[in-house]
Amino acid sequence: MDENRRNFLKKAGSAALGLGCGFPLLMAGCSTNGHSSEENSSSPNQWAMVIDVQKCKEPAIRAACIEACRKEHNLPTNPPPNQPAREVKWIWSDKFETAFPDQAHKYLAENPADLQVLLLCNHCTEPACVKVCPTAATWKRKSDGIVMMDMHRCIGCRYCVVACPYGSRSFNWRDPFPDRNDIDKQARKEYPTRSRGVVEKCTFCAERIRLWQERVDKDPKLLESEPAPIPACVEAANRVAGGEGALRFGNLGDSQSEVSRVLRDQNTICRQLALGTGPNVYYLV
Amino acid sequence: MSNIDPDKMVDQLTRPIRKTSAFYYVVVLALLMAVCWGLFAWTCQLTRGLQVTGLNNSVAWGVYITNFVFFIGISHAGTLISAILRVSGAEWRRPITRAAEAITVFALVLGASQILFDLGRPDRALNVILYGPLRSPLLWDVVCISVYLLSSIFYLLLPLIPDVAILRDQRLVLGWRKELYRILSFGWDGNPEQKRRLEKTIGIMAVLIIPIAVSVHTVVSWIFGMTIRPMWHSTILGPYFVVGAIFSGIAAIIIAMAVLRKVYHFEGYLKPIHFNYLGLLLLTMTALWFYFTLAEYLTIGYGALPEEWHVFEAKVAGEFALMFWIMVGSMTVAFFLLLFCRSKWPIGGTVAASLFIVVGMWIERYTIVVPTLVKLTGRGYPPGMYYPSWVEWSITGGSIAGFILLYVLFVKLFPIISIWEVEESEEAVVEKLANMKRYFPCVSSAPTES
Repeated sequence: MDENRRNFLKKAGSAALGLGCGFPLLMAGCSTNGHSSEENSSSPNQWAMVIDVQKCKEPAIRAACIEACRKEHNLPTNPPPNQPAREVKWIWSDKFETAFPDQAHKYLAENPADLQVLLLCNHCTEPACVKVCPTAATWKRKSDGIVMMDMHRCIGCRYCVVACPYGSRSFNWRDPFPDRNDIDKQARKEYPTRSRGVVEKCTFCAERIRLWQERVDKDPKLLESEPAPIPACVEAANRVAGGEGALRFGNLGDSQSEVSRVLRDQNTICRQLALGTGPNVYYLV
Repeated sequence: MSNIDPDKMVDQLTRPIRKTSAFYYVVVLALLMAVCWGLFAWTCQLTRGLQVTGLNNSVAWGVYITNFVFFIGISHAGTLISAILRVSGAEWRRPITRAAEAITVFALVLGASQILFDLGRPDRALNVILYGPLRSPLLWDVVCISVYLLSSIFYLLLPLIPDVAILRDQRLVLGWRKELYRILSFGWDGNPEQKRRLEKTIGIMAVLIIPIAVSVHTVVSWIFGMTIRPMWHSTILGPYFVVGAIFSGIAAIIIAMAVLRKVYHFEGYLKPIHFNYLGLLLLTMTALWFYFTLAEYLTIGYGALPEEWHVFEAKVAGEFALMFWIMVGSMTVAFFLLLFCRSKWPIGGTVAASLFIVVGMWIERYTIVVPTLVKLTGRGYPPGMYYPSWVEWSITGGSIAGFILLYVLFVKLFPIISIWEVEESEEAVVEKLANMKRYFPCVSSAPTES
């Protein structure tokens, strides 16, 4: 009996030591290898966007994109009064100098404080938010490189919000639909609603891509004829006069896609490349 | 210690358990009220969501995360200090260990609950265990803190066994408490074999707990260190946090000891020399803290990378300058108090320094967590400021009160000074002397040596 207890204590002690010291090391190891883990393994497909900064100088175009996104994803319509920093936003517009602090030198042809650019999730190749999420509620989708978000698994710790260098993640500080009637009247029923206390972000309109993917999977011949899916913001920009091609969307894995062609032909920049996150939204300046 | 005979010692050390003054009830009631206020604030937050805090998408972490780091830091008081002193054979630790180990357990409980207060959906907290990927630093924390909590509860209960047996054998305590003592004494009757095994297990646990404690505060720092944010992404953060943790931990014990000494008249047990020695340790940690702080800030400030410079400037000369310099000032005052007043005025000097240090360390945690988020650039919207709301302050106050309340209740249930370890001090002196004789060439080895 005593011998057993002694053995037990010994084992419990070594287990505690093992857990205490081994786990952090082990996990640190896993985290550095995270780049090569299965979720991040390089599938040839990566949806990407090219934004033409010159065309987007037109306020109507930017407004149309933002409004289309709001409608498509049931974003809370009115940001809380006096709390601009609590707005839920997937695509938004801000100064060039705040979005590209490392590009905004003072001899730039256009005043970087006046120039407005459209900003959204960069669907990074090495997303900082995915690395830190403690529940894998946000993940890099293997098949097409979209940084996805499960609002029904998210615990609202906001680690991703502080980790994302691009400010692309918003937390629902209050109930997105305080008035139940809003859901019935305004909301698009096809898009699921979410609760207070979770994080959300742009998904490149994954719901549209899924519908397209389903059609293509059923009949691969459609890949030739069926037009590639485009997110709501791109669609909205194309509808505004002069907005044609202000936003372009496509698969980087397909060398014939529109984005691949533009990137080949013209010089583009990305937000904060030095951080090594590998953004997939490109800007034609 | 030879002037107190063993029977009287047991009597004195168990007095807090046997006799309860009206003052005690007043204190418990006051603490309960503070805890209830904190719970009320938390209820408000649960019903209305995190909009009742001062947080926003720019500054998404604030006081709760500061409290989390602070409490985990305080938790290093106990277990680590008592383990280090045990392992290094510092005999003066004997009356201190219990008071320190209890701090660890309760600070950890309150520290971990801060995360729950911070979550947008606390009801889904278990998702971390169900789905948590190993790559997330938050998961490393969950693992390390759980291991630390379990092992420090174990490390608190182990040396309690002989003392609980004393209480069990006293006829004065009745009812559920008697039953509790019966269970927690694990059939202790004090035979030499039990003693040998207990000493050995405590010895093993003391060694194990040191790396566990170090791992805990290291992974807490890695929550910040593993991100690519300015002044968080720093290799120094792990050791800096560990040093800060031991630092604030020692300060917390000194305060607890001074209060216990005053309230329960433990003057014969917690002597000025104990404060003097702990003060010396604290002085060393103050110097280390200054060294780390200088190393960190000078490197950042001199290098002046734009992103880091914004944060650095906000701390030393901008929005957070007042807090930052209060912190530096507190630590400076503490340093000189410990340097000059410790030997002349051991209790007053070290307690005053400890108060400065505990406040200074809370501010240090705040100025690590918040300014980085306030001054982030490149996010594509203007940085936002953060002012904690009444809810956050209330929950903070309630947490501190809860921590003290748990401690006060513990003192009522268990001897806060380890009776058997103090009783053994006479034997320890003999052993220590015999051992010391072996250091020196000219002293013939004593016959007592085995």
